[in-house]
Amino acid sequence: MNQRFRKNQTWMLVVALATILGLVLAACQPAAPAAPAAPAAESGAAAAAPAAKEPVVLKFLKLNDPVEAIAYAKIEDEFRKIDGGKWSYVSIDYDTVSFRDLFPKIETSVAAGVELDLIQADGPDMKHYAWNKVLRPLDDYFTAEEKAAFAPQSIEEGSYKGVFYGPPLMQSCSLMWYNKEMTDAAGIQPPKDLADSWTMDEALAAWQKTTVDSDGDGTPDVWGVRCGQGTWTGDYEHGILRRSAGEKGSPTYAGMAPDGVTFQGYFDTPEAIGAMQFYQDMHQTYKVTPIEPIPNIFQSKKAAFVIYPDNIIGDINNQYPDGNFQLGVTGIPYFKTQLCHTGSWHYGISANTKHFDEALAFVKFASGKEGSRIYYEALRQLPARLDLLNELPEYNTYPQSLVKQGFEKFGIPRIQTPGYTEYQQVFAEVAQNIAAGADVAQQMHDGAKQIEQLLAKYKGWNE
Amino acid sequence: MTAATQSRRSRPSLRHIIGSIFTILAYVLLVLLFMTPLMWMIGSSLRPSPEVFQYVFPLSWRTFVPIQFTLHNFFDIFGLSQEGHDLGFQFGRALLNTAFVSSAVVSSSLIFNTMAAYFFARLDFPRKNWLLVFVLGTFFLPEQATIVPLYIVVRQLGFANTYWALILPWYASPFVIFVLSQFFQEIPKELDEAAIIDGASLLGVLRHVIVPNARVGLLTVSLLEFQFIWNLFFWPLIAVGKKELQVIQVAVATQITQREIAWGRIFAGSVVASLPVILLFLALQRYFVEGVALSGLKG
Amino acid sequence: MASTVRTGSSPSWWTFIQRRKTRNYIFASLFVLPAVINFLIFRYVPIVWAARASTWQYSLLGGYQNWIGADQYLHALQDPILLKSLQVTFTYVIVKLPLEMVLALALALFTNQAMRGMGTLRTIIFTPVVMSMVVVSVVWALIFNADSGLLNALLRMVGLPKQIFLSNPHLALPSIITTTLWKDIGFSTILIVAGLKGIPGQFYEAAVIDGANRWHLFRHITLPLFRRTLFFVIVTQTIFSFQVFIPVYSMTQGGPLDSTKVLVYYIYQLGFRFQDMGYAATVSMILLVILLLISLIQIRLLRSNVEY
Repeated sequence: MNQRFRKNQTWMLVVALATILGLVLAACQPAAPAAPAAPAAESGAAAAAPAAKEPVVLKFLKLNDPVEAIAYAKIEDEFRKIDGGKWSYVSIDYDTVSFRDLFPKIETSVAAGVELDLIQADGPDMKHYAWNKVLRPLDDYFTAEEKAAFAPQSIEEGSYKGVFYGPPLMQSCSLMWYNKEMTDAAGIQPPKDLADSWTMDEALAAWQKTTVDSDGDGTPDVWGVRCGQGTWTGDYEHGILRRSAGEKGSPTYAGMAPDGVTFQGYFDTPEAIGAMQFYQDMHQTYKVTPIEPIPNIFQSKKAAFVIYPDNIIGDINNQYPDGNFQLGVTGIPYFKTQLCHTGSWHYGISANTKHFDEALAFVKFASGKEGSRIYYEALRQLPARLDLLNELPEYNTYPQSLVKQGFEKFGIPRIQTPGYTEYQQVFAEVAQNIAAGADVAQQMHDGAKQIEQLLAKYKGWNE
Repeated sequence: MTAATQSRRSRPSLRHIIGSIFTILAYVLLVLLFMTPLMWMIGSSLRPSPEVFQYVFPLSWRTFVPIQFTLHNFFDIFGLSQEGHDLGFQFGRALLNTAFVSSAVVSSSLIFNTMAAYFFARLDFPRKNWLLVFVLGTFFLPEQATIVPLYIVVRQLGFANTYWALILPWYASPFVIFVLSQFFQEIPKELDEAAIIDGASLLGVLRHVIVPNARVGLLTVSLLEFQFIWNLFFWPLIAVGKKELQVIQVAVATQITQREIAWGRIFAGSVVASLPVILLFLALQRYFVEGVALSGLKG
Repeated sequence: MASTVRTGSSPSWWTFIQRRKTRNYIFASLFVLPAVINFLIFRYVPIVWAARASTWQYSLLGGYQNWIGADQYLHALQDPILLKSLQVTFTYVIVKLPLEMVLALALALFTNQAMRGMGTLRTIIFTPVVMSMVVVSVVWALIFNADSGLLNALLRMVGLPKQIFLSNPHLALPSIITTTLWKDIGFSTILIVAGLKGIPGQFYEAAVIDGANRWHLFRHITLPLFRRTLFFVIVTQTIFSFQVFIPVYSMTQGGPLDSTKVLVYYIYQLGFRFQDMGYAATVSMILLVILLLISLIQIRLLRSNVEY
């Protein structure tokens, strides 16, 4: 019995050691180099030019978007051809994440010290990244002329304390889109000229007329309006309401103090509260918009109007390839001052990149005239480059002409502060509570206080 | 058999009838309650995206049955259609990845967790209870708090962005050990002693006494662990970036882009993501029944 | 166990026993060693990291900034949102857990009958467990939809007024509970069924011959032998319930008016949105202590030594 015991003991020891050894060995193996599932274009380009330098692979942490992927494959291709193949040794490895999870992934990667090269940064977050020294300033590498090629809103969004941190991929502007069949049925003709844009009250009348409850059960079959993309509450669309209740230059219109951390007296002015009261009434009193958002509501023909950025055109085309959707657009409604939020994604170069020259060259090309054009042709969203925008004939015809005009006339960036991420969280909760019926004034005042608490750490950022 | 039981058998009493009706009613209600959302999902996956939410209200047969029946969503996500291919969807690959990773975890779990559970159930060790608390304590911290440090650890050890990142952190699991040790403790110690008298070692006891008698328990936890790894989302999202290593829940989430949410494809993806585990469970159903027969025969 | 006297450095009888026991312990420990290594590396290192981060002003993007020490915990105790979050989470657990246990037990007993179709029913009940929680949440959000959700349609069919669920501070949490109950019940049911099947059939047969009816069978045979299964289901499900996250993330985002802001959602918000991972770690440590205490209490109270 003793002997067998001892034999088993040794055997167990061997097994345990072997297991541990095996695990350690496995862990120390280099990352499995799986066959790259890159589009055919990339392998073609790699075979072309003779590599004088060692190949460099740039890591690009970006949105998951299959259409964007097609665009970038082309951009990469062209990039390797410029300057006589100067950059032909560079290729890009895309780490794509869905939109909602991109920011957490960037955060986690930075926290873990992952070496990133390129980041797709949300415009309003640029200052946040800059404050945290996540991005490398690019001011010295863009001439004044190069910067002037971009819309001024993009420069403002992409800069921190006057220093430029990254050029834009594209721009955007929210307008009010509508289903022509439904408005015709209700006998409404939304103004086609931006100058005649409806006020909020006029828009409300239109929304009420297009809210249809055919069986009288208290629940509309078709809603008047939906404010925003998807089902979330974002500052991008909903923040417009509170700012538009102020005259241009007023604290309400500014939405935030110039110091970027004070919100009481800007966020919760009586005018802003009035605007949010209207927002609540839309849900509770007039019932022109559902309290609990329905996914795809406008695209499924369950809402007559929608406040949305210009990417809705592409979305409708995708969902109705045979054109069974008559899309119309009119100016965004307003209380006192008409405005739409601009801004979209920017390129950012990571502060800990080891391939700065290559990354910079790529960013400059991708945001340059040629790269932007390739990008536009795939995405069909408002370009940020003025030279490109002025060249595109489609932006001179309805409906896209309104997008361009709106952007130029009344498009302003979202509030510019390094604490935008925190602010947005609080505002989303405040807006949701208000839509659900909470006391508007209290929510706004408490919200302003909470935002200030969260942003206190950024005090003095732009001094 | 007495006369009473005889008559009870030949004529079903009122009580029996009511009992049967109740059973049937309960059965139907349960089926409806648990199947309806799945039916809606399957129905939605077979329609084009704009139609998915068109007939949700008012509720009617149209809510579940596609008006414009299409298999397009499925072709898209597997990259079989032109559009799916152009957009680079590789659901088949994601399925394989997930199956591989889940199986690997379950295999290693069967070895290491069983061993550890045996330790807690049978073997003698000083302060064993403390060790049990140590084991339990490891899942007191939620994923949100541990994901960043775990990622740092995995990176330091050098296997981030590989299959190992999806397997190694789970080759042993405190929950499984805890559950298995409870199952093992159910097995009568007499069986152990009998085997030892017959000359079995500790390992032999594990192999010949514990494991066969805990088959149902082992099967159950294996299935649960399989589905746990199968449905992981946040960790694979952070720890693995390569498209070739993508797992299924992440693949489904890729249908949510900033410009559109491809609902038809999301539901197709969800259906495909859910089906393998359901089928696995169905296939293993009979082993649950077998377990009863075995324990009934035991002396 | 014969004693053997060794020559040379001669240990006494006592030391020999000692040595053999030690050898036994070492051998035994090999069984649990691989698992312990896994936990040390992949679970305890993160816990230690979180403990450290909980005393710093730390954000994911900005790194470690200032050492705060115990002050961060003091701040936590005075945080009204944290207190509300604790209240919400405790309410959730106290309602969901007993409900889940009772219903799972009922379902397990119901489907354990040797009738045709029970296996299929078990599969059907188990199906939600294997579905992605995100999809489940989306589907249930539509069922609970205030204006035209399925639930309201049913209510109106029987003449009741329609309700607001997810946007109602009073009904939002019960709605979340319903959703997670629906998804998790299969999990508990399966574990309980496995436990039930471990009860040897002949006990039942003997009791039936003795004239026991269904209730007697349950009370005197099923329940006692089954306490162990119930025990570990309760302990593990408590821990999981305290960590509920995805339904809140998908359906209510903590609202309305913080009525569904469970602890883990607050932790997520703090770490990933409010840029305060240090404080998030503090709240996580508080959660850890709570779970530790509750588990210890449960183990104390529910431990049963059951012999056949």
